[in-house]
Amino acid sequence: MSRLEAKKPSLCKSEPLTSDTVRATLSVLKGVLTSCYGPSGRLKQLHNGLGGYVCTTSQSSALLSNLSVTHPALKILTTSVQNHVSCFSDCGLFTAILCCNLIENAQKTDLTPTTVIKLNKHLLSLCTNYLKSEACGCRIPVDFSSTQILLCLVRSILRSKPACMLIRKEVDHISALILRAFLLTIPENTEDHIILGKSIIVPLKGQKVTDSTVLPGILIEMSEVQLMRMLPIKKSSALKVALFCTSLSGDFSDTGEGTLVVSYRMSLENAALDQLLNLGRQLISDHVDLVLCQKVIHPSLKQFLSIHHVIAIDRVGVALMEPLSKVTGTQPIGSIGSISPSSYGIVKELCTAKFGSKHFFHLIPNEATICSLLLCNRNDTAWDELKLTCQTALHVLQLTIKEPWALLGGGCTETHLAAFIRYKARNEPESILTDDGCTQAELQLVAEAFCSALLSLAGSLEHDGGEIVTDIKYGHFWSIQGDCPSVVNWPDLLSRCGCGLYSSQEELSWSFLRSSCHPFAPQSCLPHETVGPDSNLTLDCLTAKLSGLQVAVETANLILDLSYVIEDKN
Amino acid sequence: MAAAGSVKVALQVVEVLETIVSRCVGPEGRQVLCTKPTGEVMLSRDGGRLLGALHIEHPIARIVLRCVSSHLKKTGDGAKTFIIFLCHLLRGLHAISEKEKNSLISDNFQTHERHWKNCCQWKCISQALLMFQTQILDCIMDQYLSRHFLSIFSSSAKERTLCRSSLELLLEAYFCGRVGRNNHRFISQLMCDYFFKCMTCTSETEVFELVDDCFIELNVGVTGLPVSDSRIIDGLLLHRDFSIYCPVDGDIRMVIVTEIIQPLFSTSGSEFILSSEAQFQTSQFWIMERTKAIMKHLHSQNVKLLLSSVKQPDLVIYYAGLSGISVVECLSSEEVSLIQRIIGISPFVLPEASSWYEISNTALVKFCKPFILRSKRYVHLGLISTCTFIPHCIVLCGPVQGLVEQHESALHGAFKMLRQLFKDLDLNYVIQASDQNDTSSPLIHKYSRESSQLPEISNHSIQRPYQDIVVKNGDELEKTQAYLKVYSNLVISSRGLETHIPCSTLKLTPTNTFQIDDTLKCLSPEKNRIIDDYELELLVDNNLTGNPTTENTRIEISYENLQVTKIDRTGSKLPVRYKSLDLCTSQSYHSSSVPAGSVLPVGGNFEILLHYYLLNYAKTCQPSEEAMVSTLIANALLGIPKILFKAKKVNYSFPQMYLRTLHALQTNQLMVSSQEGLESVIGKYQLLTSVLQCLTKILTIDLVINIKRQPQKIYDQDSEDEL
Repeated sequence: MSRLEAKKPSLCKSEPLTSDTVRATLSVLKGVLTSCYGPSGRLKQLHNGLGGYVCTTSQSSALLSNLSVTHPALKILTTSVQNHVSCFSDCGLFTAILCCNLIENAQKTDLTPTTVIKLNKHLLSLCTNYLKSEACGCRIPVDFSSTQILLCLVRSILRSKPACMLIRKEVDHISALILRAFLLTIPENTEDHIILGKSIIVPLKGQKVTDSTVLPGILIEMSEVQLMRMLPIKKSSALKVALFCTSLSGDFSDTGEGTLVVSYRMSLENAALDQLLNLGRQLISDHVDLVLCQKVIHPSLKQFLSIHHVIAIDRVGVALMEPLSKVTGTQPIGSIGSISPSSYGIVKELCTAKFGSKHFFHLIPNEATICSLLLCNRNDTAWDELKLTCQTALHVLQLTIKEPWALLGGGCTETHLAAFIRYKARNEPESILTDDGCTQAELQLVAEAFCSALLSLAGSLEHDGGEIVTDIKYGHFWSIQGDCPSVVNWPDLLSRCGCGLYSSQEELSWSFLRSSCHPFAPQSCLPHETVGPDSNLTLDCLTAKLSGLQVAVETANLILDLSYVIEDKN
Repeated sequence: MAAAGSVKVALQVVEVLETIVSRCVGPEGRQVLCTKPTGEVMLSRDGGRLLGALHIEHPIARIVLRCVSSHLKKTGDGAKTFIIFLCHLLRGLHAISEKEKNSLISDNFQTHERHWKNCCQWKCISQALLMFQTQILDCIMDQYLSRHFLSIFSSSAKERTLCRSSLELLLEAYFCGRVGRNNHRFISQLMCDYFFKCMTCTSETEVFELVDDCFIELNVGVTGLPVSDSRIIDGLLLHRDFSIYCPVDGDIRMVIVTEIIQPLFSTSGSEFILSSEAQFQTSQFWIMERTKAIMKHLHSQNVKLLLSSVKQPDLVIYYAGLSGISVVECLSSEEVSLIQRIIGISPFVLPEASSWYEISNTALVKFCKPFILRSKRYVHLGLISTCTFIPHCIVLCGPVQGLVEQHESALHGAFKMLRQLFKDLDLNYVIQASDQNDTSSPLIHKYSRESSQLPEISNHSIQRPYQDIVVKNGDELEKTQAYLKVYSNLVISSRGLETHIPCSTLKLTPTNTFQIDDTLKCLSPEKNRIIDDYELELLVDNNLTGNPTTENTRIEISYENLQVTKIDRTGSKLPVRYKSLDLCTSQSYHSSSVPAGSVLPVGGNFEILLHYYLLNYAKTCQPSEEAMVSTLIANALLGIPKILFKAKKVNYSFPQMYLRTLHALQTNQLMVSSQEGLESVIGKYQLLTSVLQCLTKILTIDLVINIKRQPQKIYDQDSEDEL
């Protein structure tokens, strides 16, 4: 066969960002993303015109994976955000919107892309250094001795996903569950380094959200018939477990590359079954109580085992194998011949459970870092969204253990950071411009573009026509209700800032987000005592947000740096 | 359908390519985004990738692309410069042909005939180009350019040591043109760190070869993280997870297997006859026992890690787990060969049933543990190297796959470039020198004495010794044993008339050199007329210390611009002598080399230097094709610095910098480079030769015939892949 070589010549476009269509597409994408952002964000319904699954979401991961973006430059943007989300789970919309804003703002300035890219990089390192430094005024330490801040963190994540359709009570319930599930994965006796366990999310759709629960150990779903058949076996003491990864169906693989000649009247099936029954006898003589198999168990063997009061569960699937071997402490058995006694494991208890309409086997371990989070929600789409959110929250908690800091949420970090950059760029430009010939005027322009990208990101948290102000002491984010009568003295309407750290009781002076004010150094005195047991802060994961910021700026730089797009149209 | 191939067409095609490429050249260049039909998005500033992504149909363009790709395969650098240089050459040729057309406007050829005539002319030119490339270029590189070369080695002691700061400069300049503006510094630091971590004291070339060959196995790409998270990891990362992992302390021995450990019923080509059920069961039992025994044996030999290039059955994994042996399966053959190269063991061969001998093919491993990168698991191996390469891996991070790939290919290219740089480049050239070159030593001795007296004597006497020599040569031409060559460039200026006496080179055995050297040395200060002979001394000294013992070593003495200024008598007879010398020229073969690690400051320095010397050379030639070609190439060379300096501010604009450099050259000052960074001379040289070869290829084509038939056999399937 010969191969035909190319094809159609590629299409080469220069300066892709200058064309109007690209700008228009970018602003449409930005509009879609912005409207989803935050707790009051609008939901998007994604459905295929040809039918099929309908997805209601406001999460970047669901949104971007379903959205088909045609322009290559925007494809870079979306894939970069998706990659970020798959690494950190959180802050996807933040990254995407910031990146769009940066690109748009850079185009508004009349500077060459080279200059913008260079200065953006300097500003980025200014930001990251500030956020990592002790002097940072928009982060708080996470205290693991109390659940307060961790709960705030989880709750902020749940609240920012309106498509989960949770009411306040449900949010509290689920966030408590998530935190409990997370704590169950932490091993009790820690050695030099912690290996976290796993929380398995078990779906249960159509139930009330408050029916969700966390159980230690593993739930294996069963049909009711199976359950009835095995019901009589009850044992109070610990059960001996054998976990097979090889097939117990008597199939015959790995015969080698040569031919196998089987003489007439000889039955390989019988021979294989004989072997299986021998195995069964060995299991019984070893006093195994529970046989788990990743693949299929031959019905005869199953029956043989059940006669001898051994529970056999097959078709467990490869996904459960690792948790199972962890829970039971076994090594998956790959042989149907002799089994070493050391490869049996133990579970503390095995019971059946019924949640909603589903029946489960529940394996309760003595001590393991595996737990099952039984998650309920009313319908499919809301459940999917809730599941994603729970995964995000669990991941964020893991990240927080590594880096025990949290950033102030609710837009406060963005406004604070913008104030900080503005101040630095105005008063200490030499510290930013360390090298290569950029002038201070250029720095001012780019810094202004950078800050306004951050500010308009914060501003997109507000969807109901409200007005946004910042105080010029801490640089925090305050939003005014949109429908208030204009005659009222508006500062009276402000109660708490976006993250909930400050209240308007203090004497603060205000500045509208859209108007430019005199640059000021945002103060960073953090009243630690305000993080009391009843305080309700909005917090973000530091690791995720920091990386999101870096990825957003790097991606924006990358897109601004494009001088050609070559499209292969084959 | 047939289309005439001509310079004009080629120029048009290459100009299109040039406009695309020139935007990405140099430190100010920008990125190009390529999309594949599969929807993948690729970011690149690499000229080769970019040209490949264009899928160009035009036949001439495809010739060019093929040339570029074969050049890249060798050197890993210079695709963009290739196109720009080629374009300028074609432009120059086109300008020449236009001029000729204007002058010959009255000719009455049919257009067709004219076309054929043109083709003939192009063929001549292409031959001249080839001549230039094979003969003149090497000569100029060796004799003029080489004195500007810097080295990245700090040659303090006898052994050369690589200087980190100059390597950094070199790499930074390389990555400037390869990766995004913000990342080049970071990536070059990363590469530098990597190199110095991998290298033991004296192993540069070996390390480069190994890294170049196995680069894919030595790096891991991670998307979704900022670029600054990229790092170097001690040991080797295999792109696999453990099939079974048994944590162990202390000594870890490992073996490599390339076959399934469990015995199978039948091997290929054989037949296994099952006659009874009992037989089947016993054979299965035997298989199990045998597998168990092999594992036990491995365990008894203290083997804790099994690397397998094939998938092992569950049974093997199970018994391995029972014996406390960790298993990694499905390694690619490249990974296996890399490991073998590093630790130098061969795969483990299964022992015959009866003999349990000691396993010799095991290697000690420092550690072996799972490594998690962005929720993907890898095997982290601390191999103890037996070669000069100390294994390390690069983890490359980036927000998108395209960027990671770009960095990966840039790093790979950098290793290719360094691999070339660390080799000596042989220069072989033939000099059309006058006949006295091949005379025997006493004669030369005489000659050199006479020729150094040359300035004193009158015109008549100038003529005589030469003729004398010519006559003698006739007799001794064939007997010559000693290679005595004097390469001199006597510029005798008289009343504004500048005549160049063609080069003659001295090659002689060491003893003779001393004599000549002495005579010249003692003569020159006395007479004060030989001005520029410093290079002669320099070269002679160098070479003598280099190979004092070798017989028949070819030693070159070159002294250029031996200006004799005092003669102010008539020069009318000089051309006559000139011709007589020309008549009896013979070829002399030179071989020399550009030493490994030669570099020049970045930013068009190589081009301007070569330009300058080529122009000088062209002046010495007769107005012939040779001179024409030299000037053509010299002028085309300037195209690259012109683009590099396009965006610079006034003081660093191209004309300014050009004038400065020329001035510096003329007054023999050191050149001052406006930019930091170094580039490899060898890379540049190879680029130049590749371009010239490509150009000759284009010029020799007179007709392009388009075949509409399905291709019968595709010879060059990988042409696109290479790009």
